[in-house]
Formats: sequence, C-alpha cells, structure tokens
Amino acid sequence: MAQEMIEGINPTRMELLKLKQREKLAVKGYSLLKEKRNALIMEFFNILERVKGSRENVEEKLKEAFEDLTASQIFMGDLAVNKSALSVKESVEVEIDSRSIMGVVVPVVGSTTSPERTVVERGYSFVDTSVKLDEAAKKFEESIALIIELGEIEKTIILLASEIESTKRRVNALEHIIIPRLENTVKYIEMRLEEMERENFVRLKMIKKSMEME
Amino acid sequence: MKSSIAIVADADTVTGFKLGGIKEGYAVETPQEAEKNLENLIKGKQVSIIITTEKIGDEIRDFIDKYTKSSALPMIIEIPDKSGPSDRAVDPMRDLIKRVIGVEMVK
Repeated sequence: MAQEMIEGINPTRMELLKLKQREKLAVKGYSLLKEKRNALIMEFFNILERVKGSRENVEEKLKEAFEDLTASQIFMGDLAVNKSALSVKESVEVEIDSRSIMGVVVPVVGSTTSPERTVVERGYSFVDTSVKLDEAAKKFEESIALIIELGEIEKTIILLASEIESTKRRVNALEHIIIPRLENTVKYIEMRLEEMERENFVRLKMIKKSMEME
Repeated sequence: MKSSIAIVADADTVTGFKLGGIKEGYAVETPQEAEKNLENLIKGKQVSIIITTEKIGDEIRDFIDKYTKSSALPMIIEIPDKSGPSDRAVDPMRDLIKRVIGVEMVK
C-alpha cells in the first residue's frame, strides 16, 4: 500500500505534537461513531421486524375495500355514493409525537382514535344506501389504521437508513483514510527527526576529530 | 400534538377514504394539481399525514422527496389505487434496506 501522508507538513517537534493530538482525537471519534452505527443498525433491525408483511396487509385490505366500493357504486350510482361520502363524519384524528434514536428524530403515531364505528355513527342516511356501502366504509376505516401504522414504520426506516448511510461513510473514511494518513505522517516525522539527530551526532564527531588533528 | 389526515388522490380513492372518515380529500387529475394540493397542505402545517396513490407518487417523486427525505413530518404515504399495486421493477423499501444492510433481507 502506498504510504499516504498529509501534504505540506514540516518535520518539526511542534508538528509532531499537533499531529499526535489529532490522531488521538480521530481514534476517539472513530470509536464513538462506530458505537453509534451499531446502535442505529440494531434499531433498524427492530423496525424491520415490524415492517414485515404490513404493506401486504394494507394492499390486501384496500383491495377488498375497493371491491366493495365499486359494488356500491354499481348498486347506487356514483353520485349517490359521493353524496353519502360527503356526509360521513370525520373519524380519524391522530396523536403525533416524535422520539429520537441516536439523534434521529422519528415520528411516533399515538392512539388513533378508534376509527371503527357502528353504522349509525357514520352519519349517512340508510334510506337510499346499499349494504355494500356500509361494508366499504368499514373496510376503509380499517385500512386507514393500517395505513397510518405503515406510514410510521416506513418513515422511520427511511430516516434511519439515511442516517446509517452517512454514519457508515464517516466511520469508513476515518478507519481507512484519515487515521492511517495521520499514523503515516507521525511515523514520517519521527523518522526525519531521528535522522536529523544522527546527522548532528556525526557532525559533532567530525568536528571533534578535526579539532584533535590540529 | 394532535393533527389530522388528508388524502390527495384520484376521485374514487378520495370517495372511499371519505367514507372511511377522512374529511380533507382532494380529488386530482393531473400531477400538477396533485403538487399544488400537496404544497398547500404541507404549508398549512395542520395536516401531518397525507395519503396519496402510488401512481401520483411515481409521477411527482422529486417533489415528494424534497419534502419528506430529511424531516419527520409530514409523512406522505403511498397506497395502491383501485387498479391494485403497481408493478415496480424494484420495491423502493427493499432496495433501501439492501443498500443499508448490504445483504438481501427476506421481507
């Protein structure tokens, strides 16, 4: 491997001390970041457990819901369905909190005010509606709860993933580039200093010898 | 923090979710309309979860990424519409997980 070094460094004791400080800091930062990365990845695996199958659940539920919706549109006509939909009371309200995983703020969706209601609570009239409409409404209510959960999980995954990526990059940069470079430079300066000492020593000897000759 | 949910999608999907109890529904036809509605919702700050369809999501991917990549809120959730889940060549979630972990996880 080519011995990469930091460019433009004078081999002096002052620089050597400074570099040693920097190396110490880099190593410390490296171990901290490595811990952070490990913690993030552990969180990531936890959340992966939760994501399993939840998108499929949503897709399944929605498929059923749309089937019922289409059926009720066939029975009642588009306009009547739209009219009923307009008179449905609002049911969904969410409590949104956030928590921080190693400095990454992720949303936590709290108790969704139980969206499942009885037929009477929905608010449209029964006179000209089909039973399929009730079914469709029920299924959409159920799927909303699932969708919210899925959204929370996917969002968390996306945020965690980007944080993991940048942490990983930093860890790798420190491990493979910055720390070896600092080490090499320190070594280089130490060698230069020793070399200079030896040169000085030889020079002194020579002077002494030539003085004795006279 | 209490907040509500909105939906920006095609007419039928909006009708369905209105039946399910979401009041703020915007039926849109074109991606431009969708963008406009989404922007209003995001700027309004009262809505923190927005549901849209995968078709719309694919058309305005850049716009969505701009608002959702870095911050926790708003969440924009993409769901399949009545024609079923769209066939994407790569599942974006799967792809992301693979990139982060380095190996394929069985989902």
